[in-house]
Amino acid sequence: MDKIDITLNINNKPFEVTVSPNDTLLEVLRDTLDLTGSKESCGEGVCGSCTVQMDGNPVRSCLTLAMEAEVANIKTVEGLANGDELSGLQQSFIDHGAVQCGFCTPGMLMTADALLHANPNPDENTIRKALGGNICRCTGYAKIVTAVAHASDPQDDCPDCKNGGKTKE
Amino acid sequence: MRLPKFEYLCPDTLDGALELLATHGQDAKILAGGTDLLVRMKKGLLRPIFIISLKALNELSYIKIEDGALKIGARTSIANIIASDQIQKQAPALYQACEKIGAATIQHYRGTIGGNILQDNRCHHYNQSQFYRSGRQACHKDGGKICYARDDSDRCNSTCQSDGATALTALDAQVVLAGKGYERTVNLTDFYTTDGIMPFAMDSSELLKEIIIPFSSGQSAYQRLAYRSAIDYPIVCSSVLLTPDTGKKKIAHARIVVGAMGRSPLFLAHESDSLKGKALDDTAAFRKAAHSSMNSAATFAVHNVGATLEYRCAMVSEMVFRALEQAARALKA
Repeated sequence: MDKIDITLNINNKPFEVTVSPNDTLLEVLRDTLDLTGSKESCGEGVCGSCTVQMDGNPVRSCLTLAMEAEVANIKTVEGLANGDELSGLQQSFIDHGAVQCGFCTPGMLMTADALLHANPNPDENTIRKALGGNICRCTGYAKIVTAVAHASDPQDDCPDCKNGGKTKE
Repeated sequence: MRLPKFEYLCPDTLDGALELLATHGQDAKILAGGTDLLVRMKKGLLRPIFIISLKALNELSYIKIEDGALKIGARTSIANIIASDQIQKQAPALYQACEKIGAATIQHYRGTIGGNILQDNRCHHYNQSQFYRSGRQACHKDGGKICYARDDSDRCNSTCQSDGATALTALDAQVVLAGKGYERTVNLTDFYTTDGIMPFAMDSSELLKEIIIPFSSGQSAYQRLAYRSAIDYPIVCSSVLLTPDTGKKKIAHARIVVGAMGRSPLFLAHESDSLKGKALDDTAAFRKAAHSSMNSAATFAVHNVGATLEYRCAMVSEMVFRALEQAARALKA
């Protein structure tokens, strides 16, 4: 069971890594590449905290072998911000108080980011359905759903949108 | 959780994959989406020496109409099935079932239809961590001689909780199994063995290649009940196919299937036949067939997938009734 050299294309940058066949994408991201934004929680595909995007689709990195991800374009939570400038979705999470302990946030962001790319103006049901596979034990979800809805469509009557970083600019 | 060690093989062609299966079949497992297989491997339920990945076999990912039937490649992702107009039109039960499989982020992009119908039977006493299982004697499925789900049972009573299998059984689908140098087609009703340990009638050297859904002039529907819709497997589900007579007022032929209540999807022939000749709006006949389905399914079910057995049995009747109503409504429309 030899180690194998592969190239992973992560956040538009190629990374040469040496992996074992039984390494999951999550283990390579966190342990080899120090991209520790993606979290391991349940490790069996239930909770969603390890969600990353492969070719634009949200997938569980804990249930994806690194070898299986070789040709895909992988996007992790580290790839959302442009340098120090947060993406609209990230800023909206901060403005609307959608982050408490923060452990589920990377997964929530990656799932929501994929949703907003596919459907820029989702209604509440669509958002709730898309985030159905991501578990949060703190927020009660309401603020996360609002943050996603208002990320692409800031509301005039929402004090968080008004006072948040997004509408100040 | 770490995966156990294995050797990773990634054949470029179907023939290459079949060659590898012919050589290593006993010690190998096929990896498509991995959403079922890798979880079981992480829990130490499986330790294959070889993993044969279907990553490069794009030829197994298609949805096409051919010879009066809908043909779906086994590696077609759940997301592609949901997005297909042909499946929505020709096999609404399969569409409804796939839409309800887990959450998009878990199963839809990585998970495949082949993987869904080949997902292993489950049981609360078996699908547990190694630590949990280490504290007690092994059950039938784990290589022992005990069933924790049913006292004194001489066999494994694990439950088939596949959404796709239930819908496809109602649609009277067939599967094409490929081996080295041959292919064979098996009816889905024969494919499920009702053996909890070896639920599928296929050899370890064979690969599920294609699913064939014959065209029907009828309408199908799928209903399921689960604790948390986005995460959990169904605790009861039902799928039906109603074919009308030429006047489109009466039922010429019906298929009622109940899932997650036994070791394989349960095709209930007696209840299906009872609807022959009944009017499409004969709610009383639907209730009667649903009630009878409950009694039939109850004989197979054991308390091993969550919720009390009494509740699950009671809900069989409701799921079958709702599926019948839904299919009849679609026929009348």
